[in-house]
Amino acid sequence: MNEQMIKARDIITGYKGRPLRIMEVCGTHTHEIFRLGIRKLVPENVEIISGPGCPVCVTAVGFIDEAVWLALEKGCTVCTFGDLIKVPGTEMSLAGARAKGAKVRPVYSPLDAVELARQNPGEQVVFLAVGFETTTPSACLAAKQARDEGLKNFSLLTANKTMPNAYNALVGSADAFIYPGHVNAITGNSACIKLCEEKGVSGVVAGFTASELVTALAVCIRLLEKGEPFFRNCYPRVVKDEGNKAAIKLMNEVMQPCDSEWRGLGLIPMSGMELRSEYAGFDSRKKYNMPKITGRPNPACRCGDVLQGKCKPSDCKVFGKVCTPLHPVGACMVSDEGACSAYYQYAGQ
Amino acid sequence: MCVGLSAKVVSVKDQTALIEAGGAQRAISAGVLDDLEPGDYVMVHAGVAIAKITETDDEEAADVMGELL
Amino acid sequence: MTENTVTLAHGAGGKQTSELIEKVFKAHFANPEFTADDAAVLPKAEGRLGFTTDGFIVSPWKFNGGNIGKLSVCGTVNDLSCMGAKPLYMTCAFVIEEGFPLDALEEIASAMEKTAKEVGVKIVAGDTKVAGKGQCDGVFITTTGMGVIREGADTSGKYAKPGDAVIVTGDVGRHGCTILIARDTYGIESDVDSDCAPLWATAESVFDAADNDVHVIRDATRGGVGTVLYEIAEQSDVGIALDQTKIPVDERVKGVCGMLGLEPLYLACEGRFVIFAPADKAEKIVEALKKGKYSQNAAIIGRVTAENKGRVILETEIGTQTILPQPKGELLPRIC
Repeated sequence: MNEQMIKARDIITGYKGRPLRIMEVCGTHTHEIFRLGIRKLVPENVEIISGPGCPVCVTAVGFIDEAVWLALEKGCTVCTFGDLIKVPGTEMSLAGARAKGAKVRPVYSPLDAVELARQNPGEQVVFLAVGFETTTPSACLAAKQARDEGLKNFSLLTANKTMPNAYNALVGSADAFIYPGHVNAITGNSACIKLCEEKGVSGVVAGFTASELVTALAVCIRLLEKGEPFFRNCYPRVVKDEGNKAAIKLMNEVMQPCDSEWRGLGLIPMSGMELRSEYAGFDSRKKYNMPKITGRPNPACRCGDVLQGKCKPSDCKVFGKVCTPLHPVGACMVSDEGACSAYYQYAGQ
Repeated sequence: MCVGLSAKVVSVKDQTALIEAGGAQRAISAGVLDDLEPGDYVMVHAGVAIAKITETDDEEAADVMGELL
Repeated sequence: MTENTVTLAHGAGGKQTSELIEKVFKAHFANPEFTADDAAVLPKAEGRLGFTTDGFIVSPWKFNGGNIGKLSVCGTVNDLSCMGAKPLYMTCAFVIEEGFPLDALEEIASAMEKTAKEVGVKIVAGDTKVAGKGQCDGVFITTTGMGVIREGADTSGKYAKPGDAVIVTGDVGRHGCTILIARDTYGIESDVDSDCAPLWATAESVFDAADNDVHVIRDATRGGVGTVLYEIAEQSDVGIALDQTKIPVDERVKGVCGMLGLEPLYLACEGRFVIFAPADKAEKIVEALKKGKYSQNAAIIGRVTAENKGRVILETEIGTQTILPQPKGELLPRIC
């Protein structure tokens, strides 16, 4: 640990003021906070809450059902980020579909799925496009490449989401937010600045290394002590105020805002992204005339309340008993970033 | 969300950059960062360079903490 | 084409089977005990015996730093070595997919010969079956091994005691990382090579350095070092405290793991022991290991505690303590 970090740590451990609730809204932050044991670092009067920042966790049950339908009914090769494979659908997960003979492939990038389609013209390739603004440009690049090349065997099943409207839905859940650094790397800071100026919502943008997280937390605590609403960019080496303009332009060119269902939070108006009509041929739902598929989540699962910070994972009746990382019931137990999974693996620290 | 990887740009051709981290190399898209040059450090997510990295996290911590101390 | 590949006739037990055994296996495994009869006849052994078996199905069959043949000898040799058993005899059973190239089989047998010679273990019996195309993936090998346990050695996963030092004999996760790259699923290139190695000499040096006072030696294979630590914590009913900064990880492994969001502690090793020994013997053991061919990066990575039974605790880079997450099922890259 260097001198800066020791100073930052001392600010955190030495805090003696009023009780504070700080919410991080990024799954990778959840993960790193557990990995680094940061909850053990903060004093008792500071509570760190994990918000709805893991794209796997907020993905609706029906989305998995749609992917399973494409894989089993239509015989598509379903390419996905690895984390999504074990998320339970109404009947089964993609791992379950794979056991029934479906072709399910984890990929590193949506562009790899395009490459797979290129090399296997006989296969119908579907990419499961989940994620926030950080990930959406990669899906847009994939759609654009496929359209430019006139690929006939590639499409996207979209569930892309955007953060700003989720922040609005979460106002009041915490004294300050730790904003997701890589979302802001794309979007820039204007939405967060606006929240601060118009609604008095405080927050800091944080990076992901030990030094960055500890520093951001120290800044957050020190500024909360002062009492004025604030916004600070604590990740300036990657996040610029204006964001990544080329990525924003690309997203607007390929996709448009739509209503989106969040597991636990329900339908949030204009909080999702879907392909524009020019890309209809690359939209799996349209391409395969998909019927309306509505998922039925397990009624005992309280992922929704967990995601809103309304209860702790251990307050859920199935947590740790029926629902474990090996046999997840809810999405929060699946992804390593999920609050329940992290809570389970780190034994509720 | 969003596991990011800090990586060094080895070469750039058209809209594809070859990046390196710990000797592991991979071709990624430079489609949303148009002024990349070999030697630049970038943040990579899902096979796309999403941002240039302008300093180390230690330097950054010094800047960010500056106002508090 | 069929001239150069394994056919179903090679497995039918007739002339072609004999030819295959003659040309490929006997040529490489020749030793006085290698049998043409139904069972090998071995001289009487002095002492307690170690006896083990292991199946190998790695895909692809060849990777940077080894192949399935080398792996199948190392696996069994290392399992025996953990118990202090000097590997003496091995058997091997091949299940070969129809159409598998003969020169590949030759390469595999040659690697087995070389590895067995290095250790001084004799391959004394074998079996060959050919499976129809698609019924297995290339070649599967099962090896069984026997050895005599050295005087004074007494190791078991149940023997870890509070106060013991935890030692790894080298950097972790290299084999798993190499296989991941060799499968080329994620488009990543790296010259990372497998740690696959036969560790009898390594085990001997540990027993010698500690005057046999070693509690546990475990071969960290699939599941990696992290899985071994949880196994021992449970078997011995103790806690394990690790110093994260002391765990040796090759830069190349860090690079690949960074790209895919994987934890090196859960990637497979094929040439690494995890050793639990009294703290006062630890320095001597590491000193001896550092002189060895396959253990130059050996390090003390933690200690056994009476508290936190069944758990592995990590001391993090910021000085806090956290629990090492339990290993779980299929290793999938974490991207989001």
